[in-house]
Amino acid sequence: MPSVSDPILLFLVVDIVALLLLGACAAAMPLAITGFLATGLCGLGTLLCLPPLLVRMPATVLDLPLGPPSLPLHLALDPLSAFFLLIAFLCGTAVAAFQATTAPLADAESVWVTAFCLAGTATFLLAADGITLAIGVALACGAIWLSRNNRHRQAVLLVPLLFLTATCLLTPSGFAPRFDAIRTAPIDSDHAAAATALAIAAVAGLILGRSADRGWTRDALIAGALIPSASYLLLRLVADLSGGAAQNGWGFVLVIIGGALAIIQSWHSAATPDLDAAVAGLARRQAGLSMAGVGLVLIARAADLPGAASFGLAAVLLLAIGGSVAGSLTALAAHAIGTSAGTYRLSRLGGLVHAMPGTSASLAVGLLALSALPPGLGFACLWLLFQSILSAPRTGGLLSQLPLALVAAAIAVSAALATVTSVRLIGIAVLGRPRSPRGAGARESKSPTRAILLVLAGISLVVGVLPGPALWLLAEPAIRALTGVPPGSRAGLALLSASASSPGYLALPVLALLALATGAVTIALRWSRKESRAAGLWADGMEPPVGLPFGDPVAQSTGAGFLPALPVLALPRLPPIPSVPLPRAWSAVGGLWLVLAAFGALLLALSVMG
Amino acid sequence: MSVILSLLAQILHIGLMIVAAPTVAGVMEWLEARLTGRSGPPIQLPWRDLLRLSRKTPVTLESVSIVARLAPIAGLGATLSAAALVPSFTLGMALAPLADLLVVISLLTVARVAGDLAALDSGTALPGLAAQNSSALAVLAEPALMLSVFTLALMGGSFNLDLIVGQQREGLLLPAAASAVALTALLALLYGDGSMTSSALDQMFSGTDLALSRMTGWLRRLIWIDLIGGLFLPIGLGSANAGPADWLIGLACWGIKLGAFILCMAGIHAGLGRIPRHRLPDLIGVAALLALLATIIVLTSAGTA
Repeated sequence: MPSVSDPILLFLVVDIVALLLLGACAAAMPLAITGFLATGLCGLGTLLCLPPLLVRMPATVLDLPLGPPSLPLHLALDPLSAFFLLIAFLCGTAVAAFQATTAPLADAESVWVTAFCLAGTATFLLAADGITLAIGVALACGAIWLSRNNRHRQAVLLVPLLFLTATCLLTPSGFAPRFDAIRTAPIDSDHAAAATALAIAAVAGLILGRSADRGWTRDALIAGALIPSASYLLLRLVADLSGGAAQNGWGFVLVIIGGALAIIQSWHSAATPDLDAAVAGLARRQAGLSMAGVGLVLIARAADLPGAASFGLAAVLLLAIGGSVAGSLTALAAHAIGTSAGTYRLSRLGGLVHAMPGTSASLAVGLLALSALPPGLGFACLWLLFQSILSAPRTGGLLSQLPLALVAAAIAVSAALATVTSVRLIGIAVLGRPRSPRGAGARESKSPTRAILLVLAGISLVVGVLPGPALWLLAEPAIRALTGVPPGSRAGLALLSASASSPGYLALPVLALLALATGAVTIALRWSRKESRAAGLWADGMEPPVGLPFGDPVAQSTGAGFLPALPVLALPRLPPIPSVPLPRAWSAVGGLWLVLAAFGALLLALSVMG
Repeated sequence: MSVILSLLAQILHIGLMIVAAPTVAGVMEWLEARLTGRSGPPIQLPWRDLLRLSRKTPVTLESVSIVARLAPIAGLGATLSAAALVPSFTLGMALAPLADLLVVISLLTVARVAGDLAALDSGTALPGLAAQNSSALAVLAEPALMLSVFTLALMGGSFNLDLIVGQQREGLLLPAAASAVALTALLALLYGDGSMTSSALDQMFSGTDLALSRMTGWLRRLIWIDLIGGLFLPIGLGSANAGPADWLIGLACWGIKLGAFILCMAGIHAGLGRIPRHRLPDLIGVAALLALLATIIVLTSAGTA
């Protein structure tokens, strides 16, 4: 019997097709129109994802009369895909709206990159078979990575092929690589282990892949859509389709890889000299924490501890929200600052809180959500990850427990590094005095652009203060479907609780306490405070340099001394990848070539695997 | 009735913490001086400092933003919030459900971040350098603290401070070896924390702002003492609902514990001196390793949690 959400899935498919058409025709249309069209289409996608999540609609499937013979494409909308689709479209809406309102208007390339990336992401999030999934990943990766300057553009096809191979390994012999067929048949543990290894490799490629073209659109899409969706792919292939066949050992592997990734990325963020690179590193740190969270889910499920698995999954989903909202917010705010101040280099920024107060405040809120300060979203994620380790099984001796201790240390170190990064970025770029004449001439973004940043900041603050309700509204069906239990025993208003006897984390009351204490101090000060007297800069009694009566701005910290750069491991150089001739045409033709090449490769892989 | 008692206990606790913080600082300075053969400053000097500073007209830099103006208030607010959550003379106070260990240590981080941002906002060299150093040290110190409390949470089965202290009081926090290692890590961090605060961080504050900044530092030290005392020496900590008679016993025990801590810390500072800044990373690194060791000990002791 067709369920109520069938039309929603159909509308989502129409939305994806419209995005593809928009991407193909972007070069031929006026820029002002394309930006607003992309915003409308992404906004429509966001709205379409809400009913299945809020009304708890059951999963639905749609078979498309497309694809290779006997392998039609299948799409499905279930709670997990609806959740990730919502946050991907939300990021897409923000990026497209920013493109439509920023001055000067974004070029046609930015519009088609957004349209193709969002269409590809939505396709693989809705995919119910390996081929559709690989096509979607190829489209999204191609939009982001395929460029003439990218020396490793051949790797664009490698990631979808790895995903396809992983799906095929899970498929029982004689069947098409459909997810429903995989779920019904028992999976060989060797095949599951190989598929898990390939999925981890592909997700790592997706997270760490960088575009040669330095552009804010790509940065925002990677942080807000692609990296959170990588968590979906990992969850779908490793936690959902592999079922119980995914080995406990792979959970430990994921935990270690995720912990290492979180530390390395947050260290890079704390040491890099550029604002945009630092916020991109923080977004990748979220992906590392998500990988560790998925590992904890696997470990807990192998030990039949649904409560611990539920905490791990809740952490992964909250990290995805944080990565998407705060990741895109910080990337967009960094672009606004870079455009206005003429540089992303921290040593040339400063004092933007006076010139760009709205943008600076948005950046600060985004960084709060990506670091681990209460009552921010990042702290709720940290708490859930620690709670998941706390509830993890205590069996297996040193070999099993050592990874858990190490991941706890990794989470703690990455949290401290993320906080240091936030202090560094806000303290150097936003506070202090301008360090260059160009930076001193920065002006606030236009009102619509600023409004987009402030809306994203508002969402980030609300979810940070109300993590329990946010999970309950948006992620509860997905968590229940994958673990069998809801997120925490009492995930009520502003509450994430481990058990009835344990009070858990109460974000809203913590905020109230903080406000009360700060308010009390303010009132006490009003009682005794005298009017302050303004004074010029004090340079420890030294005379100001000639021509700089207000002191030398370069005497301020440039942010270079917070942490040393991570030492680079001297790995042997890999042989260069042989060059593959790719069509040089761009826009619609390039996209078509990409799709055709992906199809050919997929069919070849299928024929090889029987 | 129990709600009123827990609320009264909470208000009394906050008041005591505010009063005790400068007093403890004064006693410690005096005792440290006496132990090194000097006459030492008067015990009430911190109170006099607070009064003197609050009467002065504050001087603020023209270039600073609202962040630097609000930072001392926010820092004290966050530290006061943390102080309200750490039990001193009784358990089960009104804010006990909020007393999550991760929240407590993160509130202390919020206060540190506020101070660092204010220093960077001043746009001068020395405070900026001090903020850089403080942040760099925090990269080691905060994970070490987080791992230490995580170890205790693993033993207690929860992050709630009241639950952990209650279990410690009943001797249920096992294995004892992990508890001892975690205690050593926390003591090392407490010793390092005393040397971490730099006067350059406060350089741009004056008047009431400087008074707030100093109060934040004293309150932070008292929170450390209460945290360690409550977690590892929960003597005299009864339930807030037991009434004023039990509170008096708790107050007496708290006073004795404070006295013992002050004596030990003053003795350590007098005997060993303050640790040089360039050796701080070594000390904090050792504390971090000890905290990791404690975590591993707890995790590998099957069936203990």
